[in-house]
Amino acid sequence: MTERRYVGRPAAAVDGLDKIMGKAKFVGDYQLPGMLHARVLRSPVPHARIVKLDVTPALAVPGVVAAITSEDFAGHSLWGWPIQDQYILAYQKVLYVGHGIAAVAAETHEAAQAGIEAIELELEELPAVFDPARALEPDAPQVPLESPTGQGNLCEKIIVRYGEPDPILECSEVLYEGTFHTGRQEHAYLEPEAALAIPHPDGSVTVHYNGQSPFINQIHLCQVLGLPAEKVRVIQPVVGGSFGGKDDLGYQCSGQVAGLALKAGRPVRLVLGREESMMASYKREPMAIRFRLGADAEGNLQAAKVEMLADSGCFSSQSTLAMLRASLHAAGAYRYRAVHVDTQAVYTNNGFSGAFRGFGNTDAAAAIEQAIDDLAHRLGRDPIDFRLQNCVRQGDRFMSGNVVDHEVKLAECLHWVRDRSDWDRKRADYPARDGDLRRGVGVACYMHGSSLGGEGADYANTTLNIEDDYAITLTSGLTDYGQGSRTVFTLVAAETLGVGPERIHMLRPDTDTALESGPTVASRSTMLGGNATRVAAEKLDRLLCYAAASVLDCTPDRVARHGEIYVNPKEDEASFEEVVDRARQMGLTLSTHGKWSMPHIEWHVEHGTGTPYYCYTFGAQVVEVEVDMRIGQARAVKVWAAHDGGTIVFPQGAYGQMYGGIAQGLGYGLLEEMTYHQGFPQALNFDEYLIPTSLDVPEIEATYIETDFPEGPYGAKNLAEPVLVATAPALANAVFHATGVRHHTLPLTLERVLLGHELRPSRGETACRRALGFDQTKVEVIWQT
Amino acid sequence: MKIEFTLNGEAIRVEAPASTTLLQLLREHFGLTGSKPGCEVGECGACSVILDGRVVNSCQLLAPQVDGREVTTIEGIHGPDGGPSDLQLAFLEFGAVQCGYCTPGMVVAAEAFLRRHPSPTRAEIREAISGNLCRCTGYQQIVDAVEATAARRRDQAEGRGE
Repeated sequence: MTERRYVGRPAAAVDGLDKIMGKAKFVGDYQLPGMLHARVLRSPVPHARIVKLDVTPALAVPGVVAAITSEDFAGHSLWGWPIQDQYILAYQKVLYVGHGIAAVAAETHEAAQAGIEAIELELEELPAVFDPARALEPDAPQVPLESPTGQGNLCEKIIVRYGEPDPILECSEVLYEGTFHTGRQEHAYLEPEAALAIPHPDGSVTVHYNGQSPFINQIHLCQVLGLPAEKVRVIQPVVGGSFGGKDDLGYQCSGQVAGLALKAGRPVRLVLGREESMMASYKREPMAIRFRLGADAEGNLQAAKVEMLADSGCFSSQSTLAMLRASLHAAGAYRYRAVHVDTQAVYTNNGFSGAFRGFGNTDAAAAIEQAIDDLAHRLGRDPIDFRLQNCVRQGDRFMSGNVVDHEVKLAECLHWVRDRSDWDRKRADYPARDGDLRRGVGVACYMHGSSLGGEGADYANTTLNIEDDYAITLTSGLTDYGQGSRTVFTLVAAETLGVGPERIHMLRPDTDTALESGPTVASRSTMLGGNATRVAAEKLDRLLCYAAASVLDCTPDRVARHGEIYVNPKEDEASFEEVVDRARQMGLTLSTHGKWSMPHIEWHVEHGTGTPYYCYTFGAQVVEVEVDMRIGQARAVKVWAAHDGGTIVFPQGAYGQMYGGIAQGLGYGLLEEMTYHQGFPQALNFDEYLIPTSLDVPEIEATYIETDFPEGPYGAKNLAEPVLVATAPALANAVFHATGVRHHTLPLTLERVLLGHELRPSRGETACRRALGFDQTKVEVIWQT
Repeated sequence: MKIEFTLNGEAIRVEAPASTTLLQLLREHFGLTGSKPGCEVGECGACSVILDGRVVNSCQLLAPQVDGREVTTIEGIHGPDGGPSDLQLAFLEFGAVQCGYCTPGMVVAAEAFLRRHPSPTRAEIREAISGNLCRCTGYQQIVDAVEATAARRRDQAEGRGE
């Protein structure tokens, strides 16, 4: 194998220079002449019928230029994917606190706010439902205008059917039953949602939105604006973090500014404040997960039955697909003879749930990895030994019944974290300690299906073009919101073309200049976009090779490379520029397109059988905690992490994903929970919703264990989401090791660890109403008696 | 009201409403958009600037409060040639930048800290940046970058002393 020059070598993020200098322009930093400022009127109640909504008084407010409601859009602004149950602005009903109802564009922020306050709104409050189990009862208030399943608040039902677990469980020597609860997590991207729309004289509109998937945004915008694709352009600016979180609410923001801009004939920008963002945006779904696991007397897992209930909130958003992924990972990375999973996603009036890094597997792994730990404990087995005995290896079957047909280095990951963490000594020593400060170590491991799998069509496109100044322009339909894919694509193109990365310039994702590549989700960029880039670069390289052969007077197969220099067997040299010039003289078009699709797989949703993912990644983590028994505070002392990620293309970026994922996992396990009381979110800013600081995240020792994966670009697999999913359960298992108490509910807040239950100081609705500006508005709520 | 202060080394005289925050003044009046609004309650640190040598959240100061004082924003932090400083380059080298929204505030906080603490431990660096939230990196590579910059600055200072 020839040595690689760029892939796997230290590199700087290609878009890092602007960021470190403070020059990167986020949407909130743009200033356009004549730009108007938008504000959105949001619901102060969790469920109500819109009795009256009149925006004409807003138009009388000085400085207000335009005001819109759902009636200003095609189809009342209905959209949504995969289920159409959302509106750009509420239609007929409001379904959660923070639901957008009307929007105003004005010369100043103050005028926009005054415009919002002038809108005449009358709401008739409806009975609401906040408990997912209650929501399934036939007499529960129905949340959606139309039930997608025809069964009230049931949003989706998902099954996995591998073998028949019941008879196996009946005769299993060891039977484990347990229920686990996971919390609702806020994405907490540092940059809130922001959208800017610029109208054009021909009735078309350009939208800048800080999201993940501009092409998906374009589809929704075309639908609600009633415009063809050529009249809606979406450009993705620099994005200040997303983690799955800037889809649905962002599409609403995009529709709102586009509607306002087309009406006003001027650019309109909407920038959400933190309180508004936390109130209106979706979260990671809270779940209840119930297990029945059976093992034989030697501790070999035999069968599993899993039931899951997820609170989707008032929209389906991505809950249906996230629950598909949760179901397909519910029993973990272990060998079974039979597994059944039954999952329900349910509508309630608690905000709404949607995509968040890990996409269902974060919750599923948090539950199964605690259950497996519990089971190992009951069997008197070391948690790592028990996992090594049962974890999947090549040739086994996954919990969904499909064969494990790629190399698996899960056992190697478990061995690595065991050795590095001094596991055996700590497991033996720590429980002997008593006193106020107790230590514990816990482990968790995972599998994670790569890319979309059964969730949808799975392909990506890259184009390359050599410009007149010999720079190479790269486009991709996949986007970089901080995770480093721009750098990955640049390194793959540089490696394949044999040119320096500084020659390659990746354009901003833009529906007018890039080719549609599906959504930028599911940790799919490196595999899909990396391969598409490799294909495009190989095509361009072959063209250049003809030109080099012409310059060097030999056949193309005799052309060799020394860096960017082309060389023939006589050691004659030609520069990259000379070769490009010759190619142009030869009439060769130096633009190429690469498309790459995941190999075809079939998952039969209705039967719960098939192959859900073409391939998987694996990993293991150990977390060491210290628990202060006086106040119930668990603190992570150190984390060890190993992930089987194929070839690592961009090491700094890959380790950054690992560290960042672990930090989010620590938050999920220890600190972060967005609770709702009677539909009112109980935290609206970072003084109430705490995310880990540099003092909460300990030193992390991490490694990537390379696996053979020939289908990946230079052998790369995916990593961004899976590196997060083991942290919370490993932490919970460490707390169990330290304290001897299993809490079954995440996050492990002080009161849960100390008292075994939560304290619920409910602060009611005042803060939400204040944040929404409802102290002054004319809104009339007819309160339900 | 009239405010006179030093902004990134330049004497400034500006007229601003008394209720304007320093962050608004920087972003809206001077177009210095490197300081970011992230929470506007003084929790996230994305709006960090250096005020008379100490890091402050510019969202929590009213503009008149900087009268007669010295303010340095991310736009005032760079190398001698106007390009990136050693600390900024270390952020790139160690992979301390992902989405980039916290980055200016993080660079500002780390630079102010390093000027006062040339030989910090990793724990001290963590303490120093604990007022700056980052959701992407898990902080480790930021600590790496600040630690390496401190070591290089010490080496350079010793080299000059010889």
